[in-house]
Amino acid sequence: MFRFVTRKLRWLASIPCLPQVFEAMLVIGSALFAREKLRAMELLEQFALAEPDVRKWPHRLGGTGFFVGNCEIGHLHGNGLFDALVGGQTRKVLVSKGEALAHHVYADSGWISFWIKSEEDAWHALNLMRVAKTYRMTWAS
Amino acid sequence: MGAARFARILVRILFSNLFGAVVCLLFALVLSELSQITWAANLLWIRTWPNLILVPMAMGVVAAYFWRSLSLRTSQYLVWWVVTSLVAPLGAYLIWKEGLVCLLVGFPILFVSGFGGVILGRVWFGSKMSKMNLSIVPLLFLAILAEGEFRIERESVMTDRVLVHAAPAEVWKHVIAFPPIAEQPNYWLNRLGLPSPLATTCDGPFVGADRRCIFTNDLIFREKVSRIVPLRLFTFDIIEQPPDPELLGHLALHRGQFELTDNGDGTTTLTRRSWYTLHMRPLWYFDWWTRQITSRVHLRVMEHIKRLSEDS
Repeated sequence: MFRFVTRKLRWLASIPCLPQVFEAMLVIGSALFAREKLRAMELLEQFALAEPDVRKWPHRLGGTGFFVGNCEIGHLHGNGLFDALVGGQTRKVLVSKGEALAHHVYADSGWISFWIKSEEDAWHALNLMRVAKTYRMTWAS
Repeated sequence: MGAARFARILVRILFSNLFGAVVCLLFALVLSELSQITWAANLLWIRTWPNLILVPMAMGVVAAYFWRSLSLRTSQYLVWWVVTSLVAPLGAYLIWKEGLVCLLVGFPILFVSGFGGVILGRVWFGSKMSKMNLSIVPLLFLAILAEGEFRIERESVMTDRVLVHAAPAEVWKHVIAFPPIAEQPNYWLNRLGLPSPLATTCDGPFVGADRRCIFTNDLIFREKVSRIVPLRLFTFDIIEQPPDPELLGHLALHRGQFELTDNGDGTTTLTRRSWYTLHMRPLWYFDWWTRQITSRVHLRVMEHIKRLSEDS
């Protein structure tokens, strides 16, 4: 369902408020059917905000965006899918090692995707976010 | 959870609902000024006109703003939004005497879009630029007003068909008027109180004849026959809708029509159409419900006509 919406109905995201409504449905779904996942998502947010220079901001597609300055380093969807921008080279390494998946929409970009399902996954996502933060700060400098 | 924290949450729940109510009232007031419609008339519409995506979303943003200092987790936001979103329908039921079925139909979209607002506000006001982010509230308010002012009312038609194993002449007798339907409705919304059709009376098969469509709960739709093509077409205008809370202000029914098509093999295709204008928004959501409900009404009547025609 999520895959279908993000790939085929992406144009709906340009309608104001609809991405937030869709995100609300994802979070409600996680709360009803995957409580552990929701707890892990909450943990990731908590960890991320404890990181220096990282702040959260609404993502344009409805999720929670994580930013360094004004630059996005990653975002978390309400169904536990975490996307981070790590750059093309690092993406290849992470995906080949099985540490992350190619991005769920833009497979050949510098983005990676990672499904959070448990507390351990939240820790792993935090590490990926740190990689994204390093990439962003290196790239920005 | 401490009593003081619990009380703070409850007070803020009331704030967000109060905000929703104020938005609706201002919505009616401003639109009455803009469109030269009387304030009193708009006051009757305020429970239906505001968009059930934008208003709950604005309420969710406001709730998140008031809860921002409580450090709630996402799951806690969800739990408290369940409580918050129940206040508005309860108020509508007790104060506006809103219909239970309408509230049930409207609640899912109110809940989901409101929680979308909470999510937006939670992230927004949880960031380091929360004061600047307050601009979202007036922007949402303007969006609500703009949506109402530029809204275009559109007439829609719902069509259903049934195959009757009888000649058109037999079916025609029962189209104009029919005796009470004995079977209990099996649609779940009817069990919760949504009225269902019972019988129809008509002064006769001529243009201008008075027709009455009688529903459960003693509701009567007054109709006038507007066009007849014997054995083929029977059209009637709805001239008065009953003042039922499930209908009032939400839906305007304009006319209905039965069309009989002779299939040439002793069977007739009976087509039933209803023209209506829906005042609820978002249209895609409420139109889906309206079509479901209208279709149930059509099919209950048409199945009855089919039984009567095939038994004669």
